[in-house]
Amino acid sequence: MHIDMNSFYASVEAAFDPSLKGLPLAIAGNPEERKGIVVTCSYEARAFGVKTTMPVWEAKKLCPNLIVKKPRFDRYRKASKAMFAILCSYTPIVEPVSIDEGYMDVTDVARHPLDLAKEIQQRLLDELELPSSIGIAPNKFLAKTASDMKKPLGITVLRKRDIKEKLWPLDVEEMHGVGAKTAEKLKKIGIRTIGDLARGNDVQLEKIIGINGLRLKEKANGIDHRPVDPSSVYDFKSVGNQMTLPEDETNEEELKNALKSLAKSVSLRLKKKEAVATKVAVMLRYKDRTTVTKSMKLENPTDDERTIFQHALIVFQKLWKNEPVRLLGITGQDVMHKKNAFKQLDLFTFEEEAKNEPLHQAIEKLSEKYGEGIIKKGLSMHKEIDSFGSSFGKDFFFK
Amino acid sequence: MQVIVQKNKLVESVQDVMKAVSSRTTIPILTGIKIVATEEGISLTGSDSDISIESFIPAEENGTIQAEIIEPGSIVLQARFFSDIVRKLPQDKVEMKVENHFLTIIRSGSAEFNLHGLDAEEYPRLPEIEEQNVFKIPSDLLKTLIRQTVFAVSVSETRPILTGVNWRLENGELTCIATDSHRLALRKAKVETNISEAHNVVIPGKSLNELNKILDENDDLVEIVITENQVLFKTKNILFFSRLLDGNYPDTSRLIPMESKTDIVLDAKDFLQAIDRASLLAREGRNNVVKLTTFPNGKVEILSNSPEIGKVVEEIHAKNVQGEDLKISFSAKYMIDALKAVEGSEIRISFTGAMRPFLIRVPEDETVLQLILPVRTY
Repeated sequence: MHIDMNSFYASVEAAFDPSLKGLPLAIAGNPEERKGIVVTCSYEARAFGVKTTMPVWEAKKLCPNLIVKKPRFDRYRKASKAMFAILCSYTPIVEPVSIDEGYMDVTDVARHPLDLAKEIQQRLLDELELPSSIGIAPNKFLAKTASDMKKPLGITVLRKRDIKEKLWPLDVEEMHGVGAKTAEKLKKIGIRTIGDLARGNDVQLEKIIGINGLRLKEKANGIDHRPVDPSSVYDFKSVGNQMTLPEDETNEEELKNALKSLAKSVSLRLKKKEAVATKVAVMLRYKDRTTVTKSMKLENPTDDERTIFQHALIVFQKLWKNEPVRLLGITGQDVMHKKNAFKQLDLFTFEEEAKNEPLHQAIEKLSEKYGEGIIKKGLSMHKEIDSFGSSFGKDFFFK
Repeated sequence: MQVIVQKNKLVESVQDVMKAVSSRTTIPILTGIKIVATEEGISLTGSDSDISIESFIPAEENGTIQAEIIEPGSIVLQARFFSDIVRKLPQDKVEMKVENHFLTIIRSGSAEFNLHGLDAEEYPRLPEIEEQNVFKIPSDLLKTLIRQTVFAVSVSETRPILTGVNWRLENGELTCIATDSHRLALRKAKVETNISEAHNVVIPGKSLNELNKILDENDDLVEIVITENQVLFKTKNILFFSRLLDGNYPDTSRLIPMESKTDIVLDAKDFLQAIDRASLLAREGRNNVVKLTTFPNGKVEILSNSPEIGKVVEEIHAKNVQGEDLKISFSAKYMIDALKAVEGSEIRISFTGAMRPFLIRVPEDETVLQLILPVRTY
């Protein structure tokens, strides 16, 4: 099942301010500046031809009564959290894809999927005042395609046997996963509809769009083996480890050693998830059970054991009041996948990094050709050695 | 002490010296403003021991009487209360009179305040500076020099020397450099000077920010005196002292690339707006990063992708693209800061590779240079 919120930002704004309901509303970068662009807009605005990424002046020309508002991401995050909480009340197998859409695996939910979808849609509307479209299908690709078919407030069932009739006549550009550039390439080899793609020649497809071409062909045939994976995107916003000390500890050296082991396990777990943390937090519980925490932002996101330890130590020294410590923990916070993270280069050390430039370029070329993840830098293959300390990876969505 | 002073003059002076007064000082008397009345006029002083500002109200200026000195003397008054009081007084004229035990009466119209003051003798003396090594810069140029560099100082105390702007004076040319190690801003200017020896000092960024607020946008010359641990900026009625930062500023000249592999010339305003748009989504994400790609046909693509929120792509036309094709990612914030600082209608960006610093300059202008380090993916 794929749940897609309808013009999410605009709907959240309307939920906050009911007087906006039914009016053409756009969320734009900078409403005062006419050159701001529309990030999203309500269906009422869409009826006038207002589109996402359109400059505000153009949108206003099409729809003079358009209400333009600044994005309020704190609101959208909160609404997103509430929405996923509703999804999670049915099954733990929920995979958020972005702030406003996600997949649910409802195979094991003992309900008819159509009834379930109706109930979820109604609850999102009643409890959060947010409209959504839901697609029901045997796999992720078809579910996503289905939710797209009827907006707003649609529920669409797409069976494998329907694809010939419902999917294949469509323009290949309308297929999820095919961008303008890919569509152009496909058109050059005579593939215009999704049906053409489903019957495409493997060798030719691989040659012009790489390995992704074959995957697209499979999808066009209604085949998609990807599982709904709750851990794929947001399952970790933080990665932490904690340990209870053998005795209430006041010796700074011993506490340092404990921090060192914790830093090591946090680093290992980050590496295993191919993730990096942007903040390091330290948690202390004293003998009398009072618990204190403090965090520090890192200059660059990291998975490095030494960097984590060094920063944890700085935080610890600010935090610790020389009293006996019972429990100690380190958490890497604001964790993100490595591929979304950046390292800001430094004027005084960039030459070191620049030496690796040819390597980075080679990796990028290979990835472009054969798909992401085909090659990686020499990371050691980590075995599951969570040396010690239990995980307390708190989750953004399931708190 | 007893004086009668024009309210607007007093308000202005108090506002200037307040820039140096901090409530978080370790020396209690520095939470006050020192007021000294002499035959020539009234001087006000504020200080946080890093910055000290003295503002002078001449008894007479351009034939108008601004202050009437009935009895010379001095007092220190609590800055917070004094500045609020002065601002809200009802009439154009203010009378201040110090009575026994430093009790000060402030009168304007029918309003009368009694404020407990402190002994001005207790107030630390301003540094004594011998005015030998003087050079002069017009006020508006000095403001520009500050504005074009100070934003790039480091806000982190990990390398304290980088929280200041490096000023080098050599052969009648002043070079100002600031870097937080992620970007660097440089501005050169010719100055009027009789100094033959070279100077190389580091002025705290905070001091320059405060100085910039006080200076007027005109071409009156500001005299600048540099000593071993202090710098003094002197205008007609203001003395602005700042402590200098200890330590050697790193030599950045060898880090600024001399040659380039890709050069693009762009309309500065269009480019700034495009980067600003691209950063709309990125600003919310933790990585405020945009990716720039050049194409052989003179097109430049700007892209920003925040997985949680969405992505934005924009194509802009460069006036000129030379050299190798390039893909590079950098902080949108640093680019916006740099573009706002260079103030040209056209800019040239010179790249030497995706992992190396690149330069933003105004074509045909050697005095301004902005450098940015790119980001790389993991």
